[in-house]
Amino acid sequence: MNRVRSSTAWYWLGSIWPVLLVLALWQGVTAGGLIGPQLLPSPLAIAERLVERLQQPEFLFQIGQTLIRLGLGFAIALVAGMLLGAAMALGGERWLGPLVRLLAPVPKIALYPGLVLLFGYGHASKVALVVADVVFPIIYATYHGMRSVQPKLVWSAQAAGAGAGATILGVLLPSATPSLLTGCRIGLVIACINVFLAEMISSTDGLGHLLIVAARSYQVVDMFVPLVLISLIGLCLASALQWLRNRLPAAAA
Amino acid sequence: MSPGAVRGARARATGVAALPRPGGRHLLGRVLPLVLPLLFVALVWEACSRWAQTEEMPGLAEIGAAFVAILGSPRDLAGVSASLWRMAAGFALGLAIAVPVGLAMGRSPALARALNPITTMVYPVPKAALMPIIMLWFGIGDLSKVLVIFLGVSLPLLYHSYQGARSVDEKLVWSARAMGMRAAPRLVRIVLPGALPEVLLGCRVGIAMALITMVSSEMIARQDGAGELLFNALDMAVYPEVYAMILLIALIGLGLDFGFERLRRWLVRWSDTLQANDA
Repeated sequence: MNRVRSSTAWYWLGSIWPVLLVLALWQGVTAGGLIGPQLLPSPLAIAERLVERLQQPEFLFQIGQTLIRLGLGFAIALVAGMLLGAAMALGGERWLGPLVRLLAPVPKIALYPGLVLLFGYGHASKVALVVADVVFPIIYATYHGMRSVQPKLVWSAQAAGAGAGATILGVLLPSATPSLLTGCRIGLVIACINVFLAEMISSTDGLGHLLIVAARSYQVVDMFVPLVLISLIGLCLASALQWLRNRLPAAAA
Repeated sequence: MSPGAVRGARARATGVAALPRPGGRHLLGRVLPLVLPLLFVALVWEACSRWAQTEEMPGLAEIGAAFVAILGSPRDLAGVSASLWRMAAGFALGLAIAVPVGLAMGRSPALARALNPITTMVYPVPKAALMPIIMLWFGIGDLSKVLVIFLGVSLPLLYHSYQGARSVDEKLVWSARAMGMRAAPRLVRIVLPGALPEVLLGCRVGIAMALITMVSSEMIARQDGAGELLFNALDMAVYPEVYAMILLIALIGLGLDFGFERLRRWLVRWSDTLQANDA
């Protein structure tokens, strides 16, 4: 038992050593004084400051603001994207396809000033930006997932007397799940990045705003803290979805 | 939710009725799938604008006039073209650095094991958000702006070059080695052409990322260029100009994507594997 655990620990260490090496080099260069702390703080200093900030209720409130926008925007994009993707897969390609192909390559962040005009400076414009950018990977994931269903599964369901609704919910949707989870993983990272950038561009709160405030007063460590935190949030969400996808039964994958 | 819809899905799932390529041989068939959705979006916008009757949602006529005014203003055009030049420089830097590293990763498992964990860690970092930090290091000049774009484009270029180099036929590499070709020429003359379809897919993503990083970093830095023009119009409350700038950037994005996609299809016309890869 113990042996197994220690061997997985070694495996884990074996795969992340390059990251540890980079962090060690970074620490060495900054602690050795080659680069001054006013240009690049050491990773330990950033970690220390992050832990300190995490104990402040004001900082937790800022994280909350960012997470609300992230969660709400992603949830709306997920529902809308799945509905549109399913509609496209079930015969709506002719009508929705050209529209999706036109709008998908538009750089969504450029829409942000317009969204600010339409929805104001509060939560709504950031949520709208997340929806506008995340909905397209979800549409494509649902569409491709439902289109790649093995036809014999659909035939069996119909032979067993399943109606259209039951076939969609019982066969097409489960088969699309692996593809959809990959779409969600990409979408969540895009959502994190968009919320953060929108908060940097114009906001009065949230993690992105904290970076801008720190930049105005040249607090370099405080510039890195929100950036590291949003990256960690994105990394954790992406890893969680990857883990979920790997745990799906082999038949579905 | 008719049975017909499910039957349609089944027919497509069998691959018999494969995805119809947008447009046929006729010019009309090619242009309509582009023009109709554009027309649809414009009509929906105009209807909403007439219904809402607010300053924040100007009609198409006003936006069109502002668009023409931007195209007629040498100062605005200079800003936009300076942005596009920085974008091209950042992308070229990505091509020169990320593509060779990605190809080398695809041929050397040891290098891939060393670099993959780092790219995984760097992937969720918002690259445009590094703008204030990079400006701290390299000043507010063009260098910082080009570097940020380089960071924005390098991951997709690296990833697709890596995947492309991994998929190269081993026998070709072995033959070249058996004939005495060294590692560097092998990378350029065997691996690069073999990986080209995948590398070009990476370039397509990279071009989109370059535009996104350019616009967002300029909106953050507010120095000059397209992103600054966009946000300046908002600060000065010239609402039609805001939408005209959005329209201009969207058209640049669509134009680059459309143009590169045609170039890509022409460059890999010999390859049968990735022709069908849409979207």
